[in-house]
Amino acid sequence: MSFWDSLLYDLFPLIWSGMITGCLYALGALGLVMIFKCSKVVNFSHGNVAGLTAFLVYGLSSGMLMSLSWGAAVLVALLAAVAIAFLIYSIISPLVFESDLTSTIATLGFGLIAQGVTLLTFGADIVALDLPIPRFAFSVLGLLITGYDLTVLAVAVVTIGALFIIIDYTKLGIAFRAISENPFAAEVCGLNLRSVHYFAWITAAILGVVGALLIVPTTFLSVTTVATFMLQAFAAAVIGGFASLPGALVGGVLVGVLMNLFTFYVSPEFSSTFLLAVILVALNIFPNGILQKVGGSRV
Amino acid sequence: MSDQATHIIPGQSVVSRLSGMATSGLTTAVVVAVLIFMPLLLGGSWTFTLGLCFANSIGVLAVSLLVRYGGEVSIGHTFFTALGAYSVGVLDTRYGISLWASVPLALLLGVVFGLLFAWPSRNLHGIYLAVTTLALALAVPEMINNFDVLTGGYEGLYVATPFIPGIEMGLQRYYVALFMLVIVCLAVARLRLSRQGMALLLAKAHPAAADAFGTRRVWARVSIMGISGGIGAICGATLAFSGSTVSPGGFTFWQAIFLLVGSVVSFYGLSLTRVLIGGAFVTLVPQLLSASGAWIPVLYGLALLGMILLGHYMPRIRKAMNRKAEAN
Amino acid sequence: MDQTTNALRGEGIALSFGGIKVLRGLDVEFRAGEITGLIGPNGAGKTSLFNCLTGAYLPQEGTISYAGDPLNGLPPAARANKGIVRSFQHVALCPDLTVRENVMMGIARNGSAGWLSAFLPLPGGTREREEMARSADEALADLGLPDVGDKLPGELPPGMQRLVEIARAVVGKPSVLMLDEPAAGLNNSETRDLTKVLRKLASTDLVMVVVEHDMDLVMSICDRIYVLNFGEFVAVGSPEEVRSNPDVVRIYLGSDDDE
Repeated sequence: MSFWDSLLYDLFPLIWSGMITGCLYALGALGLVMIFKCSKVVNFSHGNVAGLTAFLVYGLSSGMLMSLSWGAAVLVALLAAVAIAFLIYSIISPLVFESDLTSTIATLGFGLIAQGVTLLTFGADIVALDLPIPRFAFSVLGLLITGYDLTVLAVAVVTIGALFIIIDYTKLGIAFRAISENPFAAEVCGLNLRSVHYFAWITAAILGVVGALLIVPTTFLSVTTVATFMLQAFAAAVIGGFASLPGALVGGVLVGVLMNLFTFYVSPEFSSTFLLAVILVALNIFPNGILQKVGGSRV
Repeated sequence: MSDQATHIIPGQSVVSRLSGMATSGLTTAVVVAVLIFMPLLLGGSWTFTLGLCFANSIGVLAVSLLVRYGGEVSIGHTFFTALGAYSVGVLDTRYGISLWASVPLALLLGVVFGLLFAWPSRNLHGIYLAVTTLALALAVPEMINNFDVLTGGYEGLYVATPFIPGIEMGLQRYYVALFMLVIVCLAVARLRLSRQGMALLLAKAHPAAADAFGTRRVWARVSIMGISGGIGAICGATLAFSGSTVSPGGFTFWQAIFLLVGSVVSFYGLSLTRVLIGGAFVTLVPQLLSASGAWIPVLYGLALLGMILLGHYMPRIRKAMNRKAEAN
Repeated sequence: MDQTTNALRGEGIALSFGGIKVLRGLDVEFRAGEITGLIGPNGAGKTSLFNCLTGAYLPQEGTISYAGDPLNGLPPAARANKGIVRSFQHVALCPDLTVRENVMMGIARNGSAGWLSAFLPLPGGTREREEMARSADEALADLGLPDVGDKLPGELPPGMQRLVEIARAVVGKPSVLMLDEPAAGLNNSETRDLTKVLRKLASTDLVMVVVEHDMDLVMSICDRIYVLNFGEFVAVGSPEEVRSNPDVVRIYLGSDDDE
């Protein structure tokens, strides 16, 4: 096979599918960044809660718990995610105003509980979650594009577009931006920190559910898949600077592509190690995130 | 991250006072004396379990030290414990070299890798280190399994070379762990009084003030991770010797989080009695719940949250009670 | 020794943040043996100039030197090694260390005990700690705080915490002592005690710089005063000269509240 052939048959498809999964990492990363931006807490429960809700969709639609239509199951799962996010933030909010370190550790506690509840309810087995994703495929310039790809792309564009519109134009979104810039000044101006925090946590949970559900068709569903998925989201957030929403988006796509290339060309067995290396290198090269100028510390 | 995390811990201020030091020193001495005679009273399996408790206590101490002196949280300390454990395991099974050489090697590796991992996030907010350690924790099992030529992969390694030849192995596994724990606790207590330890504490509380008096922030950020990594590696080395086997199961992502839970459960304490509580929690709870594994994460999560909320509300409740008592 | 040779000097210091000029080419000379005040309304650039001198900010233009020794580009830690120390506007003591240990941090950088004695009870490290503790106790006693060494900073009233900070700054026998609003948050009697302490500290080879809002304090202790407004000096001179300078009067009458 010539160089060009391998480029055509391997590289482009790898980049394309990496970008698709990257969109999902970005959804996860956006949630992490939203929470961090306004409340300075790193939400380590993000992956496990999203995993629990993905299992909830499975349980409600497969007849294990109930036999709802998938639409109803997703709706119930979204409501559950919102309720869980509300509950988590309500419990840790007194800590948030005292120490971001303590509240970050507390989110690990919720992650453990979500993981345990998933195990207790659904067991440790791998299950297949069927979502009604259109099954078609066509090829453009030799690139195979599937219905799954387009679904992910469409959902990601709509979700992220909606998120940016909310943040740019609604009252809550503007308050979110103000508080992220300067919480003290914003509070002096009469903005309610707590309600903005709730907004960020709940939005993040919804983004997490969407990302987790869409990643499942590529990996199956087990207790660990969604948590591993979230590691990529963390990496994406770090590459983006952890405090930049567009950075998270770029970071997500970059991580998706890099991971795909690495597992194909180098080794599938060292993917977490590779991710670790990516994080370390990114911190060194772009300490303030890939979209910002290098230099100056942001502490 | 903000330095307030450790201010909410009840009883903390007592530690730094001379009177408090004297009493806590006495308690520690009594506890150590009791532990020295424990093997005479207990059966072999309990002696073995206690040895593991001591080893895990060292790991809990490594995590707590990072919180106390660096204001940072690590959820990837299994990397350092694995480093220490495999130093002992590999040197023992491949070359028949005992702890005399493998523990110093473990310490060295732990310190070097601790410094290396702290370096990229040296100028950044503490969350970057936390996220790096998350990736570290997930990468550890993968590394162990794929370097199976060295590590023995899933099967693991069996540590059999005695530390002091001629003494019964079961007793050695117990007393070496106890000895290591006591030594590490003494070293950490000494650190508190040293100029380096004080500089680290000042840099955590007021980086600008530390800077103005000659302590650079980068120095503080990197060196505390080196110290914590070194102690983590000693924990691993002790685990390998006292637990007799080294296998990937001991260094999972969950194990890394459990060390942090142990640290929280002991209120990030650095004294021997405090870290023993954390170590015992990390060791005993999975054993007691081994029949119902899925309850372990739930229980650990609840314990973590419970202790954090207790740490948050207890000083307030105590203050309210004092006020009431004064009013009466 | 000539006062002007051992001076902290700035020439043409200019600093701007994102195009906004905060300091516009300032020439300053803080002489040894004098207490020099730096005053001006809020936003005048006092703190910026102060931070340029301590190394927290690096000015875009100009040179800073002490006794002819250039300091440009040196970070605060390196300036501390040259004997240039400061106090903080918001008390910056470590709550986990005792008062004595906090003061010891003022000289800990001179210690030679290595990492080995940080973990092992080696005699060298123990001796060094005892010596530092003795110096710290002396500095505390000099400032009228003989019995608080074993307490935690949080147990002291704000006035005493401020004095502990000053003790930390002077324990290393600095050549330049810079005080950032030492009277902020103190009540009247605490400010009076502070005034006494500062007068006592003044010596022939010490450069002392005080940034302060409290006019009475500045007028009563300073030998020379620089008045800053909009990044430029409006007046320089003795308290009497400054007090009678019409520009200064205008600035301070324009804003009857100098807080």
